[in-house]
Amino acid sequence: MSGPLDGVRVADFTWVWAGPTCTLQLAHMGAEVIRMESMRRVCTLRMLPPWLGGQPALNRSGYFNQYNQGKRSIQLDISKPEGRELAKRIVAMSDIAAENFAGGVSARLGLGYEDLRKVKQDIVMISMSGYGQTGPDSSFVSYGPAQVPLSGMSALTGYAGWSPMHVGLSYGDPNAGLHAAFAVLSALLYRERTGKGQYIDMSQWESTMAVLGEGIMAYTMNGTQPARNGNRVDHMAPHGVFRCEGEDRWVSIACGSDEEWRSVCQVIGRPTLAEDPRFRSLGDRKANEDELDAIVEEWTLTQEPFEVANRLQSVGIAAFPPLVNREIAEDPHLNARGFFVEKEHPEVGVRKHAGIPWRMSETPCEVWRAAPVMGQDNDYVFGELLGMSSQEIADLVDRQIIN
Amino acid sequence: MMQVMPDRALEGVHVIECGIAGAATYAAKLMADLGADVIKIEDPTSGDPARQLGPFPGGQPHPEKSGTYLYYNCNKQGVTLNLRNSKGRELLDRLLAKADVFVHDFPPAEAALLGLDYARIRQLNPRLVMTSISPFGESGPYRDYKAYDLTTLAAGGWLWLNGWPGHAEMPPLRPFGQQSARQAGVHAAVATMGALFARLRSGGGQHIEVSAQECITSIVEFSLALWTYMDTQTARYGQRPIQPLDFFQCKDGGWIFALTVEEHQWQRLVELMEAPEWTQWEVSANRFARASNWDALRPFMEEWVGQWNTDDLYRAAQENRVPFAIASTLSDLVDSPHIKARGFFVELAHPEAGSFKYPGAPYKLSETPWEIRSPAPALGQHNESILGERLGVATGELASLREAGVV
Repeated sequence: MSGPLDGVRVADFTWVWAGPTCTLQLAHMGAEVIRMESMRRVCTLRMLPPWLGGQPALNRSGYFNQYNQGKRSIQLDISKPEGRELAKRIVAMSDIAAENFAGGVSARLGLGYEDLRKVKQDIVMISMSGYGQTGPDSSFVSYGPAQVPLSGMSALTGYAGWSPMHVGLSYGDPNAGLHAAFAVLSALLYRERTGKGQYIDMSQWESTMAVLGEGIMAYTMNGTQPARNGNRVDHMAPHGVFRCEGEDRWVSIACGSDEEWRSVCQVIGRPTLAEDPRFRSLGDRKANEDELDAIVEEWTLTQEPFEVANRLQSVGIAAFPPLVNREIAEDPHLNARGFFVEKEHPEVGVRKHAGIPWRMSETPCEVWRAAPVMGQDNDYVFGELLGMSSQEIADLVDRQIIN
Repeated sequence: MMQVMPDRALEGVHVIECGIAGAATYAAKLMADLGADVIKIEDPTSGDPARQLGPFPGGQPHPEKSGTYLYYNCNKQGVTLNLRNSKGRELLDRLLAKADVFVHDFPPAEAALLGLDYARIRQLNPRLVMTSISPFGESGPYRDYKAYDLTTLAAGGWLWLNGWPGHAEMPPLRPFGQQSARQAGVHAAVATMGALFARLRSGGGQHIEVSAQECITSIVEFSLALWTYMDTQTARYGQRPIQPLDFFQCKDGGWIFALTVEEHQWQRLVELMEAPEWTQWEVSANRFARASNWDALRPFMEEWVGQWNTDDLYRAAQENRVPFAIASTLSDLVDSPHIKARGFFVELAHPEAGSFKYPGAPYKLSETPWEIRSPAPALGQHNESILGERLGVATGELASLREAGVV
């Protein structure tokens, strides 16, 4: 491992997607992340597709393997007192502890902040429950996909005149995980400067609202709920996803100024449109947007998405096809940048995974290992780190503490 | 250790932000709200483009009253500098020489024109962490492609995923807001904290390059893996490998998001529904079977949901530890007793825009609170205190810089 967090250790009680997204960022930067898993309660992501071969298998989920790259995995049943004691020994050697159970659960397990700080006085601990640790609904259960509607995002997203909708991914999860990583690292910096650890109560609901400020302010300023308006926005036109030649083929086009609009008119071979009073200014184009979009789509309909995008990009217009997963994997740009990670994995072999979306000049970050198979690091953690003999470890396995 | 215990996590961290695309702005907001001292640099004539985005009180556009600008720029000080002018760039250099972090989101070609290359800036301040956010990163064939938020949502693979099952006639759809910018911003903030941590040990700064496209590709759930593990192309009409994971309209017209992830949750939902026959069929046997047969099963659930009022169903489900959620309207959020009890919304007065509730803390730190200390700056509000007092630019010189359009 290498990177800016080299030497930092994370006791990782997280599961599903939000928590593991937080600890993924730490692993990306070289922290040693020890995921505590258990066969008694297998991480949801291990049991969700896509699995290599199509059949459910503990270590073959691409969903799990994407978001647990570079982490260690041990098996530990923290529902048993002895399991909890071992978890605390790991915490005692760690800088950060992270969990995303429903509110109050970690404290009930005897693994709350008050418990953990007794074994590691300056631990930085984060909880990432759906609703936060306080408030009347704090014990409610939640998952990332439910945070999209709960946060107000669904009511703001959708086709004009259609019902509230999902956004196509469980956005509450990764967004919470990223915000959590930021909060944890800020607290870690504070600890380095002052010697003081602390506890962070993060609510997935609130961290999702944090990225919807422009919608929420519309209500708090004017008491209005912005109407769902498809791909249209107030400040640009044309701004949309237009049909291209072929079946279900599309291109996104965003035109940010009158000057850009004049370039669009040139490219689509209709320079006189630039002086057409229906479309001259942003206000004109917004007032006649149906006509505007029809004109643009008439032009895109006879071409391939990349053909459209290339022509528009050649005159500095923001256009790009909405890439499907296959096109992402084959994208010449992402491949040229070396973005993808292909590490050997004992059960899935070498597969392409999304890598680290930043580059650091002095402390390079890299994924040092593929996601762990369940319990891959039992010997390292119980043996090397905790100093247990193979006899002791075997005994814990027998008694299903290591499980 | 510092001699005086700081009250805030990032107290004493000096940040310079040049944000024009919403990403650097968000990264710097995250830092400012945990106590960093953030100076936001804006163009003297146009300011941050977010000043034009609204929403505006009463719907009347005004550069000091844009909700997007006001929310994402609390706690910052505002300085105007014309960076196309050499004197403006020199003043920026002087600010960077004293800073800990510089975060910007100029595209690579524009950054180069403005002299914002790390090799040069490092000479000014080897301890500086310089974080450059761009749509496609600083290498590769799309490096200089023009992009707005919609563009990188498309290129990152999010746009394709959003739509309704069975409605291929409708285009792939953007999520609300500027989510590409926010994700690039929060990723940038995370990496910047990592680099500050490394600096505590090494003493040296560094350059961080962040690609918005890559940030989106990093969060598109299992979409990429569906191709690389199962050679299956993603259908853009929603990712529904399990069911229920769907919207239904309730008796009172509100919308509920019906979700069960684990089978024990489904079992408790079945009990709540009083075990109707369809839940006992083989096509309902597990979450994957239900997803495969959802077109047939959905109407049964729809009928059951339609007998409930939204909030009653939400609470009944949660009382049984079934993870349903309401599709909150904005008034639901502001009026939520839970959100109120947590004190999430912050009432904040701005001298020109007025007093409104703002979204508040995404996290609560026990020792170093998240907090709003000041509203977003007016354009150039802190020119005198920052350029004059901090950099020592004489009052007369400041006046002539202002006249020349530099400040």
